[in-house]
Amino acid sequence: MSLPTYDSQARGRVFKDTFNAFWSYRELILLLVKRDITVRYKRSFLGLLWTLLNPILTSLVLWFVFINIFSSKLPDGTQFAPYLLSGVLLVTFFTQGFNQAADSISQGAGILMKIYVPPQVFAFAGAVSNAVNFCFGLFALAFISLITGDGISPYFLATVIVIIFMMMYVTGLGLLVAVAYIRYDDTRSIFAILTSFMMYLSPIFYPKEILNETMLTVVNANPLTSFLDVFRYVFSNTGVPTWSDWAYMSGFSLFILIIGIRNFARAWPRTVVMM
Amino acid sequence: MSNPVIEVTDASVSYMIRQGASPTLKETVIQAFKRESHDVEIKALQNLNLTLHPGEVLAVVGRNGAGKSTLLKLLARVLPPTTGRVIVRGSVSPMIELGAGFNGELTGLENIVLYGTLLGRTPKEMRERSGAIASWAGLEESIGLPLRTYSSGMVARLAFSIATDIVSDLILIDEVLSVGDADFQAKSKARMKALIQSQAAAVLVTHDDEAAREMAHKALWIDHGRVMKYGEVNSVIDAYLNA
Repeated sequence: MSLPTYDSQARGRVFKDTFNAFWSYRELILLLVKRDITVRYKRSFLGLLWTLLNPILTSLVLWFVFINIFSSKLPDGTQFAPYLLSGVLLVTFFTQGFNQAADSISQGAGILMKIYVPPQVFAFAGAVSNAVNFCFGLFALAFISLITGDGISPYFLATVIVIIFMMMYVTGLGLLVAVAYIRYDDTRSIFAILTSFMMYLSPIFYPKEILNETMLTVVNANPLTSFLDVFRYVFSNTGVPTWSDWAYMSGFSLFILIIGIRNFARAWPRTVVMM
Repeated sequence: MSNPVIEVTDASVSYMIRQGASPTLKETVIQAFKRESHDVEIKALQNLNLTLHPGEVLAVVGRNGAGKSTLLKLLARVLPPTTGRVIVRGSVSPMIELGAGFNGELTGLENIVLYGTLLGRTPKEMRERSGAIASWAGLEESIGLPLRTYSSGMVARLAFSIATDIVSDLILIDEVLSVGDADFQAKSKARMKALIQSQAAAVLVTHDDEAAREMAHKALWIDHGRVMKYGEVNSVIDAYLNA
């Protein structure tokens, strides 16, 4: 049997090593995801139902508040309820996924300083467990889409593409700020504000039609908007994504993942040594 | 003779740290703009050379802050050296702050699987070993309960039982021999000896001089990151105690 040899001077390739780690630690990733889901719901009365109820209740509140203002502005044939719920689900995936990917490394620092596990694995597991949550939410969305008459698109399986790019996006963002999360407590608050900016600058509960030209440019520059357009199109055939939406969604997430991985590989050893 | 498990060649670890209290993001940004530096270089370990063969036990002694934890991080692959080279051949069992990956909401059984997988074993293997691990820790009856219902002694016993269940090529030990009550301590010491005698190499960081003399062959005394003495265990510990 050939045993693994660790040589601190062996220079690996950052990207190859990271993706290899995701693959060779896949069983650990599954366990971490299972742990997240178990822990989140173990001590609650409704258990896993919360995954469905949470976005539905959030959407319900938004529905009551905005139904009279926005529903007439939506493109013909689009119902407000599934429009809202799809927005809430995707934005939750983004904000919680990003937060968990970044936080998992500082939460796991106790382990990571002592046992050799590539920390990137923790960030990726955070993204995966939020993808799983998002998939639970899709059942609720399918139900609402069917009863409101919006229906489900024949291409709904292509939602997988949106999920994959969102996982890349939040893993990349998480890795990009994880080291800052450990070293400076105040970054947490800064990024909470930034993510809520990104949320309001994307058409979750308002139709793009209400925006003036300047705001439309700003909202379209937000990658979340492209994610939303593509997701709404592939899931229930509402919203019209252009090819540039597809390109922006995939290109931007890939870009963020690459700089996240590269930056983390540089910054991590400098952080471990101080702890 | 077979290849050494550990080969450390002229390894140093150093880093820059800001003077004063830990900085906020604001202070860091302001200082970056002002281009003034209050950084001082901390040398956590300097020019360390170390060789350890299978079956050999190295005791590491030194005062707090001497660089003992940094050394363990180097050997656990967690921290790359700033300069120099570290080679570790084979599998490593780090017994450092046992139970760092435990979760209170999960059952004892679920924690066995998760902790073991963190240590590099497969979930399947851990499920098969879980019965033996629980019974060695004396926890057969509570293994299905959430870990938050365990006493701290029970948690420590479980962690020790998982960590020592496997025979690795290198065992890193940081003061874990003082786990549990007197009975369990004797039992864990015996198991530790058995593990070491199974041709594993071990690095033992300890403040217990007697345990070091009893279990180790070699010793390393470090102070402020510098090697003060390295060699046969009794001579090093005598020198350390007389310092």
